[in-house]
Amino acid sequence: MSRSRCILHVDMDAFYASVEVRDNPSLAGLPLVVGGMGGRGVVAAASYEVRRFGVHSAMPMSEAKRRCPQLVCVAPRMARYRQVSELVFSVFEQFTPQIEGLSLDEAYLDISASLNLFGSPRTIGEQIKKRIYEATGLCASVGAGPNKLVAKIASDMDKPNGLRIIEDSQVAAIFRALPVYRLHGIGKKTAAQLEALGIATCGDLSQATDAQLKPVFGRYASAIRARARGQDDRAVVSDWEEKQVSAEETFAVDLHRPEALRREIVGLADRAASRLRHKALVTCCVTVKIRTADFQTLTRSHTFAPPTDDTRQITQIAQHLLQSWRALVPDDKVRLLGVSLRDLAPATQLDLFASAAIESSVHTQPNGQQATKRLDPLLDGIRGRFGAGAVTRASALPTKTPPDP
Amino acid sequence: MKLNCEREQILSPLQAVIGVVERRQTMPILANVLLSVRDGRLSVTATDLEVELVAAVTVSGAESGEITVPGRKLLDIIKALPDRVEVKLSLEGDKIIVRGGKSRFTLSTLSATEFPTVDEINPTASFELLQVDLKRLLEKTQFSMAQQDVRYYLNGMLLEADGKLLRTVATDGHRLALCELELKTPSTLNQVIVPRKGVLELSRLVGQEGSVLIEVGSNHIRATIGDIRFTSKLIDGRFPEYGRVIPNKPPRTVKADRDLLRHALQRTAILSNEKYRGIKLALRANVLTIMAHNPEQEEAEEEVEVGYEGDSMEVGFNVNYLLDALGAIDGAEVELGLTDSNSSCLVSLPGGGAARYVVMPMRL
Repeated sequence: MSRSRCILHVDMDAFYASVEVRDNPSLAGLPLVVGGMGGRGVVAAASYEVRRFGVHSAMPMSEAKRRCPQLVCVAPRMARYRQVSELVFSVFEQFTPQIEGLSLDEAYLDISASLNLFGSPRTIGEQIKKRIYEATGLCASVGAGPNKLVAKIASDMDKPNGLRIIEDSQVAAIFRALPVYRLHGIGKKTAAQLEALGIATCGDLSQATDAQLKPVFGRYASAIRARARGQDDRAVVSDWEEKQVSAEETFAVDLHRPEALRREIVGLADRAASRLRHKALVTCCVTVKIRTADFQTLTRSHTFAPPTDDTRQITQIAQHLLQSWRALVPDDKVRLLGVSLRDLAPATQLDLFASAAIESSVHTQPNGQQATKRLDPLLDGIRGRFGAGAVTRASALPTKTPPDP
Repeated sequence: MKLNCEREQILSPLQAVIGVVERRQTMPILANVLLSVRDGRLSVTATDLEVELVAAVTVSGAESGEITVPGRKLLDIIKALPDRVEVKLSLEGDKIIVRGGKSRFTLSTLSATEFPTVDEINPTASFELLQVDLKRLLEKTQFSMAQQDVRYYLNGMLLEADGKLLRTVATDGHRLALCELELKTPSTLNQVIVPRKGVLELSRLVGQEGSVLIEVGSNHIRATIGDIRFTSKLIDGRFPEYGRVIPNKPPRTVKADRDLLRHALQRTAILSNEKYRGIKLALRANVLTIMAHNPEQEEAEEEVEVGYEGDSMEVGFNVNYLLDALGAIDGAEVELGLTDSNSSCLVSLPGGGAARYVVMPMRL
């Protein structure tokens, strides 16, 4: 990588919570969290007021309530966050096409080529913060550095409403003092292991020997050492092309009965397929994600051709993948299910000179496919007007059998 | 080499050939035009190694000779001189001196022997037709040519004559355009593929009046239009069997007012996905519904009264392909011939006509 790269990491401050406060100013100053309120709900976002109580995102809601009994909880409104997120991303687009969105509220921007046009990283960072505020009334923290790793560390340093530029020459000093857990991929457990080896900072880590690191990181030892020095040559991958479309659900109660699992997977496949059509894409790969009660997560994929956006076909594949996993472990309880669609392509333009293939596909199509070709857009239309829950496939509804234990 | 002429006399051949002088040249000499004076005639030649254009004009005070000069600079100078001024060109040493009124310009030159030209194309077929007819053959089909397709034989236009009919066909694999013309004197021409650049230059040259002589050799096609001679290399490849993909008597036919349909499509297109331009056509008895939606969930719907007696069906298309075809058809009424949502659509005048268009659907 050339030395002249300049990467920004922009992170909205307590995004969901800030949107809620902006839309409902009476929430301002309250210990607010956004998240599921059910028994298994988790905190999706925590305002800075509530963070003082030790509440943070991804914490179970029950734990959050224990730490902060006066906590105010609102249910997430994803559609609204997506709207606001689009405004934020359209600010990014004013400065560079090289945008890698990490989530609705976080992105890397490669502004290396924009510096001549818009000024220094600081000027661009200030402009981005200002325009985001003008467009949304929300604050963002911006970090700039020679690579993604440094930019991310930088954005975190002055949070909230921060702007921090780390120059090439400062990287070594800053990383020397940085606690190891600040590196992505080093969690509590790994940090404790390193602590036992006398490694507390990235400075220590960069000096550590292979003998020390191999047992902890295996073949990634040298990669980790480079990161501890603030080195990172990953490119900013702009997400012009959608990588995947997915739907997943964590259940209030772990599921076990085949009927309940089938119903959920049908609903998820339907939701994912509907999103796919909404984006005018087709898929060649269906993946089912399964998390069991003991927090094991695994995926099963099936790749096929020609691509499709047909709910019925996607549902059949997802069901088949789930069943083939189930056949091996009939007793495992399921905590989370997801369906994701990958290998996406825009709605296919058929080719004149591939007509032989087309003819054969017409003859082999099951009769039902023509019917669902009409049904899918109809359902999408109803959902578009009345909301995602307005209409559901009967197969995704609970049957009259007793609910899952 | 020396010549005298009026500004306008030298301007017109320069303007005729300048299109093939590309701005960014890998070979310096291709930025030049060849000036050649012989028997009181000046001919100006430009080439990009694929297409060559030669334009000639009668001049006075001529001394024979050949030289190449920077094409765009010479054109810019002549263009900027006052109207009808007397222009004198003379080669002095290795410079060309251009004089006009009280102006004097000294231009650099490169030797004429370095300049690549195509002289003899050894024609195996030749025919003469009206310029307006050739223009029509080109314009009715050229928009369907592929652009930088890996299937290199699609980046051009097929030309063929089988006795009475001269035919052009262009396709980018998604849609196809075909136009036919009855020849006054029967002629046979085996299929040749004229590259895209050549087609675009040629259609720029042909006008409304007069005729054009077409000659085809094994590697080149040449068109002589008055004082202008166009020569293009041919694409060495096999054009797909286009006849196979033109629907023969499609089972569902829709008759529609061309402008009504076109305007409805244009309005609907506003809310189609900007990248993929997909729209959906839904047919039922005598009604065509056109629908589009975009990722912002905005929707457009149009109903057009049509003549249709078949059962209901839906099919998706790239709206640009339909609009291109409708735009190229002359006539107040058009006919769409459909089979099913996976098969191509034939767009033509009711019952056929000289120009026919085939558009493959989009699976939406």
